[in-house]
Amino acid sequence: MSPDIPDVSTAKTRPHSAIAPVGLLVLVLLPLLLMPLAAIFIFAFEGGLSTFITALSSPDAVFALRFSLFIAFATAAVNAVLGTFAAYILSKYRFPGERPLGIVVNLPVAIPTVVVGTSLLLLWGPIGLLGKFLGKFGLEPMFTPFGVLLAHLFVTFPYMLGSVKPVLDELETTYEEAAYTMGASRWQTFRYVILPALRGGLFTGTLLTFAHSLGEFGATVLVSGNLRLRTQTAPLYIFAQFEAGNVANANAVAAVLAVLSFIIFFFLLQYTGGQGRRA
Amino acid sequence: MAIVLDRLSKSFGAQNIVDQVSLEIERGELFVLLGASGSGKSTILRLIAGLTQPTSGRILLNGRDVTDLPPQQRGTGFVFQNYSIFRHMSVSDNIEFGMMVQKVPKPGREAKRDELLDLVGLTGLGDRYAHQLSGGQQQRVALARALAYEPNVLLLDEPFGALDVKIRERLRRTLKDIQGRLGVTTILVTHDQEEALNVADRIGIVEHGHLLEVDRPEALYARPRSLFAATFLGAGTVLVGRAHGGRAHFGDFSLPVPDDMLLTEGSRALVLFRPEHVVLSSEKPQSDLPLIGRGTIIGQNFAGAARRLQLRLPLLKSTRQIAPPLPFGEEGLLVEAVLPAEVGMDGQEVWVCLRGWHILNHPKPRLLLYDAGAGPATTLNIGKHLMDRLNASATVLGVTDESEAGLDLVAALRTQKEVDLSLAVKCLRYGLPAEQIACEYAEALYEMVVVAVDYEHKTQPERLRETVQGVLAMTNAAVLVVKKEPEKYRRMLICTATHEAGKNNVRVGGRLARRLGIPATLLHVASGSDSAMRFARNHLHLAAATLRAMDVSNNIHIRPAMNPVEGILAEAREGEYDLIVVGSHGPGSRPPFALEDITLQVLAEAQQPVLVIPAEEV
Repeated sequence: MSPDIPDVSTAKTRPHSAIAPVGLLVLVLLPLLLMPLAAIFIFAFEGGLSTFITALSSPDAVFALRFSLFIAFATAAVNAVLGTFAAYILSKYRFPGERPLGIVVNLPVAIPTVVVGTSLLLLWGPIGLLGKFLGKFGLEPMFTPFGVLLAHLFVTFPYMLGSVKPVLDELETTYEEAAYTMGASRWQTFRYVILPALRGGLFTGTLLTFAHSLGEFGATVLVSGNLRLRTQTAPLYIFAQFEAGNVANANAVAAVLAVLSFIIFFFLLQYTGGQGRRA
Repeated sequence: MAIVLDRLSKSFGAQNIVDQVSLEIERGELFVLLGASGSGKSTILRLIAGLTQPTSGRILLNGRDVTDLPPQQRGTGFVFQNYSIFRHMSVSDNIEFGMMVQKVPKPGREAKRDELLDLVGLTGLGDRYAHQLSGGQQQRVALARALAYEPNVLLLDEPFGALDVKIRERLRRTLKDIQGRLGVTTILVTHDQEEALNVADRIGIVEHGHLLEVDRPEALYARPRSLFAATFLGAGTVLVGRAHGGRAHFGDFSLPVPDDMLLTEGSRALVLFRPEHVVLSSEKPQSDLPLIGRGTIIGQNFAGAARRLQLRLPLLKSTRQIAPPLPFGEEGLLVEAVLPAEVGMDGQEVWVCLRGWHILNHPKPRLLLYDAGAGPATTLNIGKHLMDRLNASATVLGVTDESEAGLDLVAALRTQKEVDLSLAVKCLRYGLPAEQIACEYAEALYEMVVVAVDYEHKTQPERLRETVQGVLAMTNAAVLVVKKEPEKYRRMLICTATHEAGKNNVRVGGRLARRLGIPATLLHVASGSDSAMRFARNHLHLAAATLRAMDVSNNIHIRPAMNPVEGILAEAREGEYDLIVVGSHGPGSRPPFALEDITLQVLAEAQQPVLVIPAEEV
């Protein structure tokens, strides 16, 4: 080919041609995603490292972070069991009303979390449908750590189900049947054959549940009563401190939450990336 | 006996997947269940393993009744087509799994595992995972895993189906070798006849949930008892002729009928001959081998060691070819021969003789007579007449939706039985007629459904139409609708259109005409354009050739008419036909603008019996 004729066929793949569209994308994302995230860290360390550490070591902040982590662990643990159970039932059994049930268990993703909080209050709260009677026995689930856990279980339930069920659907029944013919009981089959096959789904589901529980605000603010040192989670603490004008305190906790989320996200990416390579 | 199946049945809803299967398998035997997909062979295997519960019947493994035991307590080793190797376990852990859950101590487990790895030829691969193994290796693991806990019986469900040909052959030999060495009783399910002939000690042929025939591979290939086995296993030609004076006649040549076979004078006889039994010679042979005739070579396939030849021979008098099926419009006989590859055939014309053959019994056609309950005499007369003419067996079916009416029907059926004892099988079902006819048809595979209507009964035509429509929509049965019993079936009118379904009308109608021994007229109603006429003429000539090959004398007629229904009815009146054959659009597909389907209009208007042929081949 003579040098003065431009090579049209490779023009598209020239590296400099990507600069314009990629630049445009970054420009759009900058104020939308990147700058706000940066702002948290800038503000958190505005007064220097010592201010940051002081803000974090206040009893309220420590409690809020520890409580949030505790609730997130508890939610992930309970939903790992509950979600797997639901996924197993929905995947392996055929029954009338299967489709409606499948929709109902996924509903929490679609409902605004504030509505979830309201509905829980209307059921378990002091004037709620069930709460009215429970109150007579001195049981008040709302405005307690248990109430918070309840809200978080509700809101994050579909994430576990959504991660585990597709894996179960893919797993052919012949694996179970092979185990049965070899003498394995139902439980042994579940323990040694099905559960290990679910590892990936369980891991993803647990991380997703954990992350969502850590950041949950809408339902928590209603059912917790936002009681400091009793039911105040980290996001509630951030909001309360902001409202009270203590921006530094809010930012410090927000920065910690952001870092935790990054770590979870990193593991999720690692795992799903690894899956992609293996497949 | 290692495995005994005693009248084992399994049905899903109204469908019998496995129907009254009885079988005894000896210790150490390698038994192959051979059948097409959907024949129920895999279900039989699953029933033995306990993965599916039988509807009725018993299963004995090594003399122990396991019918009600869960799969865990049956001690069967099962190998699936998809291998089902546990992906998160190493090969060793997979093999040890059965022993682990059965609490075999670790040292024993490891020794057994190493022995099995060696046996299946995977020594040193114990630490690998499924995704590091080829399909063939995975299936070897599955085999080792199923043998690890020393099962009573080994069950293999299409184990080599997903592998390519070379590996399949090697694994087959490995399996046969291991099975022989361990002496474990084995059942292998396959649709691959070559695989069955290769490995089996005995083969059982399964069709529509029935175990048709059980025998050694050699015997099954050389002397099948059923037409299905003859055509399913191996290649070959099957001709239908007639028995006279202890010989089966096929045109000008005849073959002796074996003494143990009882063929009544004049009844139909079948002959099967394999390609390797066909002898070809360019000179007219002087030997005393039966000579079929002089044929033309129409095709050759070179297949390595052998050369397969396709030959066309002129039609033999009063003889029809069943297998291989003739293409539409084919008038001659098509015969396949096999020669060593190095033998060349000079010229196109050769003399064709037989040096081996096998005479089969012809199965009796089966009729399903639907009894609408109102006019028992009509159904009975028609049934009796058809049974006599076709030499058929029949089942009389009564359907009712109320239990009290059911009792009446039972009484009516009982009186029928007294009138004619040859209508041996009676059957009563509850529900909607169309659905119940469809169920009965699906279960027992009748050749034809006969629906009789008492014309004096005012309410019947409407109900009957629904029933016929329902049966046509739900089954691919040929349905004969009889309003008035003709004194005699003398002439048949076959209405045929130029599409695939029209060809089916000719084949099925022709079969009935041949059995009744009556001539047929092929009718095409055309609306007039020249190209349509040419097309129709061409179609009718092919149809006529097809009928001639079936030994049915016929003539063709193109009738110009705008409305096909009027054309058909006018022709039926003028020609004094006793039987009209029309096609149906088949389940679910009706032309979008037809206010009233042609088939249903003909049914409503015609006085003669009408045979409705489904769109798909019966």
